[in-house]
Amino acid sequence: MYNILVVDDDKEIVNAIEIYLSQEGYNIIKAYDGEEALEKLKENEIHLIILDIMMPNKDGIETLQEIRKDKTIPVIMLSAKSEDYDKISGLNTGADDYVTKPFNPLELIARVKSNIRRYVDFSHVNYTNGKSENQKEKLLKTGTLEMNDETKKVMVDGKEIKLTATEYNILKFLLENKGKVFSIEQIYENVWNEESYGAENIIAVHIRHIREKIEINPKDPKYLKVIWGIGYKVEDIK
Amino acid sequence: MQNAKESILLKFLCYIFIPIMIFILAISIIDVSITSQYGEMEGPEEYIETEEFGREYLLTLIYNVRDIRRDKNRMQMDIESESTSETYEIASEITEETPYDNYNEIEDESYEYPVYYEVINYNNTRISQYINYIIIDKENGDMFTNIRSNNYPEEINKLKSEKKNWSYQDGNITTNINSINQESTKYMTSSTYSTDNFEGYEVYSNIDPNTLNYSNSLYVQQTVYNMFKGHENLPTYLIPLSAISIIIMIVYLIWATGHEKGKEGIQLNSIDKISYEIISIVIMFVIGMMMSFAIASVESQIPQRILMSVFLLCYLIGYACLAVWVSTTIRRLKAKQFIRSFLTYKICRWIKITIEKIFRKVTDKENANRKITIMYWGFVAISIILACTMWSGIGLLVLIAFWIWTYYKLLQYNKKVQKINEALRNIYEGNPNVKLNEEELEGTLKIMAKYINDIAGGFTNAIEQSLKSERLKTELITNVSHDIKTPLTSIINYVDLLKKEEINNAQIEQYIAVLDKKSQRLKKLIEDLVEASKVSSGNVKLNMEVINLKELLNQTIGEFEDKLDKKNLKIEMDLPNENVLIKADNRYLYRVIENVFSNISKYALEGSRVYIKLEKQKEEVYLEFKNISKDKLNISAEELMQRFVRGDKSRYTEGSGLGLSIAESLTELQGGKFKIDIDGDLFKVEIKWKEI
Repeated sequence: MYNILVVDDDKEIVNAIEIYLSQEGYNIIKAYDGEEALEKLKENEIHLIILDIMMPNKDGIETLQEIRKDKTIPVIMLSAKSEDYDKISGLNTGADDYVTKPFNPLELIARVKSNIRRYVDFSHVNYTNGKSENQKEKLLKTGTLEMNDETKKVMVDGKEIKLTATEYNILKFLLENKGKVFSIEQIYENVWNEESYGAENIIAVHIRHIREKIEINPKDPKYLKVIWGIGYKVEDIK
Repeated sequence: MQNAKESILLKFLCYIFIPIMIFILAISIIDVSITSQYGEMEGPEEYIETEEFGREYLLTLIYNVRDIRRDKNRMQMDIESESTSETYEIASEITEETPYDNYNEIEDESYEYPVYYEVINYNNTRISQYINYIIIDKENGDMFTNIRSNNYPEEINKLKSEKKNWSYQDGNITTNINSINQESTKYMTSSTYSTDNFEGYEVYSNIDPNTLNYSNSLYVQQTVYNMFKGHENLPTYLIPLSAISIIIMIVYLIWATGHEKGKEGIQLNSIDKISYEIISIVIMFVIGMMMSFAIASVESQIPQRILMSVFLLCYLIGYACLAVWVSTTIRRLKAKQFIRSFLTYKICRWIKITIEKIFRKVTDKENANRKITIMYWGFVAISIILACTMWSGIGLLVLIAFWIWTYYKLLQYNKKVQKINEALRNIYEGNPNVKLNEEELEGTLKIMAKYINDIAGGFTNAIEQSLKSERLKTELITNVSHDIKTPLTSIINYVDLLKKEEINNAQIEQYIAVLDKKSQRLKKLIEDLVEASKVSSGNVKLNMEVINLKELLNQTIGEFEDKLDKKNLKIEMDLPNENVLIKADNRYLYRVIENVFSNISKYALEGSRVYIKLEKQKEEVYLEFKNISKDKLNISAEELMQRFVRGDKSRYTEGSGLGLSIAESLTELQGGKFKIDIDGDLFKVEIKWKEI
């Protein structure tokens, strides 16, 4: 049972989030401004915070700064501010994720799960990986995206993903060269080992499918990035 | 020090003492030079023994003989010419009357030949009047003399023996004057003093030392000498003493002049206000006069008893003038008025000011017609005047130079007009950031430049204002959208929650479906609205980089594969083999292509083909999308491009109607061209980009 602190001055939104997350088996603690949130944080053991930015008394950014003084718990910002610089300033202040209003409930749930897994479960998985060097060699990894070439298993936030053989090969090629950008042509030639001819948008379709499977929001991908007009790459996340 | 500077008494004393000290210095120097030259100086007896006297004595006699010889020669030539020509008759009559210019013939019984008595003596030697002489022409026995006597042989004897005498007879000199005896004259090599001048004549002469009024310069020297008689050592002390005191007084006056009691700075008096040239000329003239007067008085015959006072008067007047001149010069220099006090300077300045005044009058008139009239006829007049002097060659050169100068001025003027023209063109082309330098221009052009600057400034202001208001609008839309988004979040979430509830009522489920659809559309609408306002106000930061348009098209098709498949749309691609590179911001360029594809997937006729063509055209990249609209397009391409406008039928479908407008604004922001073409049901999008 994980405790999630939801902070928003709009009571209906807090209630709606409570309904969704309760269904997923989380315990919800509610707060309606920054001050209250900090109090609740002292009183309870909290595993994740969903924090609105525009609030009375103390706004989300100030509250986040207070929290980050002594706590590392995951914080998801939830705001109507959707400009790039809003997101950047939120993430730079110490937020782990940023969801814009109006949000898709399913996406919010997925992000909550992902962040909790990383914070609670995944930290010791990382630790156990260090034990076997053989295993580590065959493990392709970026952030919480892992690919074990022996077992042909792909895991995101500790959750297994099912990929087709082509999708697996494309992702493997990009993971092996993480951080580098490849054009469709290069990907085709490297994965199929033959000259590409007129098959370009097949690769693009495959990539989209992979994104849909490994990303929480395929339009705002975290791992498999699209560089429009140039190519694709897998982000190298430590 | 200040008191000394301002003391009138001290200055006055200096002015008085300087001439006195100079006088003392001068006579001391004269005395020293006399004593070193002559030793002691007693009187006329000594003077007669000087070489100066001897030369003058000799010269007097030589001049007399020369005149006599000249007149005699002329008389002989006249007699010769009389026999050959009659035209000189009148001239010969005159010569008969007065054979010698300086002499008249007199009757005398004591001498057998004619006697001529001196009437005029042109000789300019000082002592000629004191010399008594008899000159006898050995050829014809004519006697020339300045002595009146009735026994001339007796006179000759007297001249030979009495007083200080000198006689010449057949090349031999008999004399008791040592400086011109037989021995001394031998060394007079110059022809002027040579005794050869007496050839053919006998000369008898004497002079009385007691009646001799010796030379003025000598008299001066004598006077000076007498002053110091008995105190021979005095000048040795007086020279340095007076020289030092003169220098001290002059330095003091230079330092103190111009300063007056109770007044700051250099005070100028009325003399200092006179033009410098005028006062200089007047003073130089007076000084020159005084100097020549003084010299002449020493050299000339004026009575010696007034000589000293004349000399002193000249000296004092000259000194006063010099003192005035030097002091005014110094005061002018000290007051930094020296150059200004020149009349030439004043004249030049007046000319300059007058010319400027006239020029300003001609050029500064706002009345352009009058100005052009004056300038044009001025040009014609000057040309005519110069043409009149053309014959001299220089006149022609000046005329040509004047024409070239006028041409050059016209070119310069035209250059200025061009500048104004350029500024106007800039404004016309929509670039009002123009600033003309008004100082460089004059007359009408200056006024024009001022107006243009004002207009340009107005335009710039207006543009800034409109940009500012556009920015404010974007900000307003962004802020309002935040406020809309919050309640919208609740609507979407609760509709979603409702959807999950088990409701056994088809009607309610249908209502919920409508709510869901409309709330999703509202969400999209708000997002597009913010984006459209941002893009159209240029409130977007671009990150330009090299992009392969071919790759981008393939990627986008990959993204839209689902949606296109769903509508059963078939893509027909016509791509070049090589890569197509352009410079753009990849995220925004994707938005353009995405919006076009989104438009196609929404409004293309199901089951139809979509044609995409990419080709290179002369430095340009041309991208074309063609599809068949599923609804009749009852609207023009222009209207379709406007914000919030869509084809009537599609108004009720998904989307905001901003997609194409955003695509167009984004394309133009990145330097491309975006165009829509409607031909019946054929919907065509053309995008052009500069190739790199």
